[in-house]
Amino acid sequence: MKPEKAGSRLINGDNWIAFSFILPSLLVFAVFMFYPLFYTAYLSFFDWNMIKPVKVFVGWGNYLVLFQDPLTYTVLKNTAAYIAILLLLNCAAPYALAFILSFVIERGLGFYKSAFFLPSVISLVVGSILYLWILNPISGPVALIAKFFGITVPVWSKTQGLVIVVLSLITTWKVFGYNFIVIFGGVAGVPREVIEAARIDNVPLHRIFFDIVLPMSSATGVYILIMTVVQGLQYVFTPIKVITQGGPDNASSNAIYNVYQEAFTLYRTGYASAFAIVAMVLFVILLVLEFRYVEKGVYYEN
Amino acid sequence: MRIEPELKWHILLGCILFLSLMPIVFAVSSSFKELSEAYSNVFGLIPEQPTFNNYLQVFSRLPLVQITANTFLIAAAVTLFKTLTGVLAAYGFVYFDFRGKNILYFILISTIFVPFTVTMIPNYLTVSQLGFRNTVIGVILPQLADATGIFLLRQAMRTIPRSLIEAARIDQAGHLHILGGIVLPLIKPAVVSTGIMFFINSWNEYVWPVLILKDKENYTLPLALQLFISSEGGTDFTIAMAVSVMTMLIPLLLFLIFQRYIISTFTSSGIK
Amino acid sequence: MKKSMVKGICLGLVSMLLLAGCGSQNSTAPAADGKKVRIEYWHVNAETQGGKTVEQLVKDFNAQSKTVEVVARYNPDMYKGLMQNLQAEAATEKSPAVVQIGWAFLDYFSNNFRYVAPQTIIDAHFPQDKTFLQDHFLPNVMGLAKNSRSSQVGLPYSLSTPVLYINRDLLRQAGLDENGPKTWEELIKFANTIKAKTGKYGFYMQEPADNWAQQALMESNGARMMTNGKASFASDEGIRAYEAYADMVVNQKSALHISWGEGVQSFIDGNVGMLYTTIAQRANVQKGATFDAAAVSSPAWQGKAKRLPAGGCFLAITAQTEAEQKAAWEFTKFLYSVESMAAWTKGTGYVPPRKDVAEAENGLKSFLAENKMMAAATSQMDGVVSWTSFPGDAGLQAEQLLLDVRDRILSGSISAREGLTQTQTKINELLK
Repeated sequence: MKPEKAGSRLINGDNWIAFSFILPSLLVFAVFMFYPLFYTAYLSFFDWNMIKPVKVFVGWGNYLVLFQDPLTYTVLKNTAAYIAILLLLNCAAPYALAFILSFVIERGLGFYKSAFFLPSVISLVVGSILYLWILNPISGPVALIAKFFGITVPVWSKTQGLVIVVLSLITTWKVFGYNFIVIFGGVAGVPREVIEAARIDNVPLHRIFFDIVLPMSSATGVYILIMTVVQGLQYVFTPIKVITQGGPDNASSNAIYNVYQEAFTLYRTGYASAFAIVAMVLFVILLVLEFRYVEKGVYYEN
Repeated sequence: MRIEPELKWHILLGCILFLSLMPIVFAVSSSFKELSEAYSNVFGLIPEQPTFNNYLQVFSRLPLVQITANTFLIAAAVTLFKTLTGVLAAYGFVYFDFRGKNILYFILISTIFVPFTVTMIPNYLTVSQLGFRNTVIGVILPQLADATGIFLLRQAMRTIPRSLIEAARIDQAGHLHILGGIVLPLIKPAVVSTGIMFFINSWNEYVWPVLILKDKENYTLPLALQLFISSEGGTDFTIAMAVSVMTMLIPLLLFLIFQRYIISTFTSSGIK
Repeated sequence: MKKSMVKGICLGLVSMLLLAGCGSQNSTAPAADGKKVRIEYWHVNAETQGGKTVEQLVKDFNAQSKTVEVVARYNPDMYKGLMQNLQAEAATEKSPAVVQIGWAFLDYFSNNFRYVAPQTIIDAHFPQDKTFLQDHFLPNVMGLAKNSRSSQVGLPYSLSTPVLYINRDLLRQAGLDENGPKTWEELIKFANTIKAKTGKYGFYMQEPADNWAQQALMESNGARMMTNGKASFASDEGIRAYEAYADMVVNQKSALHISWGEGVQSFIDGNVGMLYTTIAQRANVQKGATFDAAAVSSPAWQGKAKRLPAGGCFLAITAQTEAEQKAAWEFTKFLYSVESMAAWTKGTGYVPPRKDVAEAENGLKSFLAENKMMAAATSQMDGVVSWTSFPGDAGLQAEQLLLDVRDRILSGSISAREGLTQTQTKINELLK
């Protein structure tokens, strides 16, 4: 049952009041979101570099080039890889951690919560510079320790695939704490008695997690799921820009970085706009799918 | 419960914690080293020859108080405005029914997916035309178009039992009354946690301010960091770390002071 | 309960007012002195790369000028970042007066932005400076700032060349000549020996988001990045030079393939024996290294002449009004005085682009005598050539293709021959 439907039965016919509540947001969105979006969509039909006096109309030209360029598919594939890794590290992992903290251990809860949250207040620019130094495969502390054990650290910033994993890890360092705390809120909301009862019945931990905790905290879970995909990809932008600039050979570029690269390094404004629009459409499809299939099964408390 | 079965979990948690906190310790330690020691004594957490030189350099080169104030002002204004409009819009979406509501909501929420690179160029033009280049307002304005607040707060409002609202409506209570007197107190944790997230994000905002702010007096802290990093001239790592430490300082302090409150509101902010 | 709402709204309003106050304070602050023409100078010099010197020069200029006030504006992310900002500024139809333009952007800049050649301003307003440029610049240096249509876009300002930094302690340890290699052939042997004797890496060549150092390697072997407006680097000479470099990385594993920052870090903390990068890194190397570090001139290929692309930037005048253009020239001329040039070299490590600075008493005489690393760069200026900037709208894309293929060759996923040949074909298609 959807609570908002219930609400709507209560208050009806006050359209103008409703709008006055939403209006402040709408105004800001109109100027700084919808107008730029339309403008970008408009630009995607032109060949332009932002400063040439003449914009050359090319129709669907940019889109045609885009779909024929193998780079587009590399970038989309990378984007999917980032999403998968980020979901694992920033959605699944904090979920498991929240579960352990709420129901498995009893000591040090307060300390753990604060400590895990701590890095999430720190800027990713700072994090990227730090990690570039710490993870230097030749002479960083991690490499030196590995060397002591006879392990050679691969040059991750120049290794296909691995570079995406490491950049995701750096992003995780920043995002994990916040996601963890929010999920913890959801997980801790599962009534203790239910868990205790299950434990008395000797239900194994992983069953408790999947059969009880996960479904009962699914609303929070869905929120973090969306946020991981959306914000994760935007966050990854910073380490990409600071550390690899999309390299090696575009192996670490994602949809968001590629738009930036095309627009602000190569100055192909029209093409970048087309790419941005395609990326957006893909994201919106993701969102629709999410609304369709995931939210259906979500458990709301009342 | 006996301690023994818990111990293995504590070891696991301890390892994760070590990994996530080590970089911070490393940054602080490096900021008190000379550059040559940062290179030669990577593992020494306590510098052999501790120095304040990096901090002194930063203070003498930059109007730090002003820069910190700018960063704070921007983050505070963004937080206030976004939370306020978010609460209002969420209320409008949850407690009213009007034609096109779901579509409007969907469109607004979809904008969460709009990469900031898409809106960057037109927004730069808009901000310039309004005459806000090189001002804090220019940094603030485009940040306000963010639907995460509406999404989060709507989710929170949906958890309020409808009987409460029903009763208030029967008593002929006005909407502002219901919002201020019933809804807000009930979703306070969600409001606070949303606000904290806004604050942190805005504090650390980087790409947009780089484009807008030109003068050092108008800089924010993440931009000040950029001054000490140059690909061609090399990065002065220890000074960069000193700026980094100062960039982290205020959010960390705020967090440490209010940690009880923050953690407990987050814990009760879970969307149920 | 209404009270808390009202309180909230008030708080919001107050903060808005506060903001508005701040904003107007910032946006409407006019020049303090109404008589002075106020112009902007855009530079890329971070604090670690001469930022202090820029400020000092601007301060000195403002102190002595009665008519002009210069505001220096730092642009993060090097010349690329500056171009981005300039691009955004141009979109609003505004423009600074004097800007630093990276050599790689020479053609892009001159095709897309409005600028005035310095000589034009001189001829119109400053008859006394008529021969300033002829008198103080070498023709080959002036030529660096000419675009593909041979028009003089600006004045060379920051000149850097690649040099070879060596870790003498490590060379000695490996039983090698502590003065470093003279040729690329020797360098390859040195690198392999260091790897074999010490287990450390022998060599790292800078890999930033440009092809500068690799151009030096290829052109010194007789290749040309471009011939008659067409990419031509995939000649036999170019390919063989690249093959030798790739062989060190891919097969011998005596050279590193890593990002610039990481590579420099690894040299400074003693894990790499030789570093091929810009002279602008001198201060960074000197400050961080705890071993016996030295810089020697760029190696040559056996029996061939060095061709080293000039790095750094030129100054372009983008002022739009006549008053601003005059002010811009006044400031530019100040920057090219012997004293200013000397300060610039001391602060940045760039080689002075004008004559008579190195030997002058009020110039760099004593500085160069003390600072041996600089000699590596100043002694190789006769080999300086233009940094190739591919012409036309697709020029920047062409450069990007070279970076992509560099990654592929050095990771061993494609041979130098195949990679360079393919890329040359692609670039020539783009340039059509």
